[in-house]
Amino acid sequence: MAHLLGGIGTSHAPSIAHAYDKKLQADPLWAPLFDGFRPAKDWLARVKPDLMVVIYNDHMNRFFFDAYPTFALGVGERHELADEGWGKRQFPALAGDSAFGWHLARSLIADEFDPTICQEITIDHGILSVLPLLWDAPWPAPIVPLAVNVIQHPIPTARRLWKLGHALRHAIDTYEKDARVVVVGTGGMSHQLHGERFGFMNPEWDNRFLDLLEHDPSVLARTGHDEYMRQGGAESVEMIMWLAMRGALTPAVRRIHRHYYAPLITGYGLVVFEDA
Amino acid sequence: MADGCDNLPGTTVFTGERSRQGYRLNRFAMSLADPDRRKQFLVDEAAYMATFELSEREQDMVRRRDWRAMIDHGGNIYLMLKIAGTVGQTLLQMGAQMRGETLEQFMATRPGLAGRH
Repeated sequence: MAHLLGGIGTSHAPSIAHAYDKKLQADPLWAPLFDGFRPAKDWLARVKPDLMVVIYNDHMNRFFFDAYPTFALGVGERHELADEGWGKRQFPALAGDSAFGWHLARSLIADEFDPTICQEITIDHGILSVLPLLWDAPWPAPIVPLAVNVIQHPIPTARRLWKLGHALRHAIDTYEKDARVVVVGTGGMSHQLHGERFGFMNPEWDNRFLDLLEHDPSVLARTGHDEYMRQGGAESVEMIMWLAMRGALTPAVRRIHRHYYAPLITGYGLVVFEDA
Repeated sequence: MADGCDNLPGTTVFTGERSRQGYRLNRFAMSLADPDRRKQFLVDEAAYMATFELSEREQDMVRRRDWRAMIDHGGNIYLMLKIAGTVGQTLLQMGAQMRGETLEQFMATRPGLAGRH
């Protein structure tokens, strides 16, 4: 049977990709970010998952508003990388896991989650900005991506993401193959990318979110989009995707790592949890 | 409406209504994910925009790189970012413009750059 090894919650941001590609790992502005990921990378190297499920959002790269899925599941054997408007990054495409992907589709739908099932899903910075900080290419294991609409309202509630985590756990626990699985939820912590409030950050709220995520996540599941946006800026509503990761774990968790750094226009957060 | 989110100051929540209003502009911007299309746009912006049936007002916003006007018109920030990338502007430049600041003024407000500027 499959086995859930633990979960990672992380920010994603184009700036992480830009800093990586410009080789700014040792730059004083960026070193705290890259150094902060090392314990998570070490943990992954230690637990050696052979499958990663990532809950994230696409940023108008795979999906457009002609038909915009609330949930979209990538079940293909290979996921190409997106050109987000300034060229593709120099990384190999991601491997997928079709057998698990279709199992997850069947299991989620039986649990009353109904994702759009994608045999082709192009991957953008929602996954790829942080992946090279967690794994070295060539990628050591396949990824099953689960994209969430957090852009065009109405968007699913925080509670829906929390429950999605429960359904995800059920799917992993009932998978017949002997797979070692890590669940990752990505989403930018406090940030706002548009309007006069561009550049808004709230490290105090971000850290309260990290506290609650660990110890009392049901509070976050009950929190409305308006409160996420007020506390963290409009685009930080992406944080609800961390709840799908947390919902897949046991009510109490053991924290392996936590890091936070907010130098420019968003809080870069990172947690690693295992079942307690 | 987006669960009361529309009352937040300095914030334009991307509702269905805005998505409908900004559809043509967003569709044009989405096309710029293709490198060949980016080249076509840069060769003749007006002709390229005309093929997407952008109104004169919409074309003018793009011509002036007026990100704030585009957002107000229903442009989605992630799609406007593709226009910016095509014309050689960064997200930080877009943000400064939307705040009504120069890039230097904006960067001076960033905690990670304290002592650098």
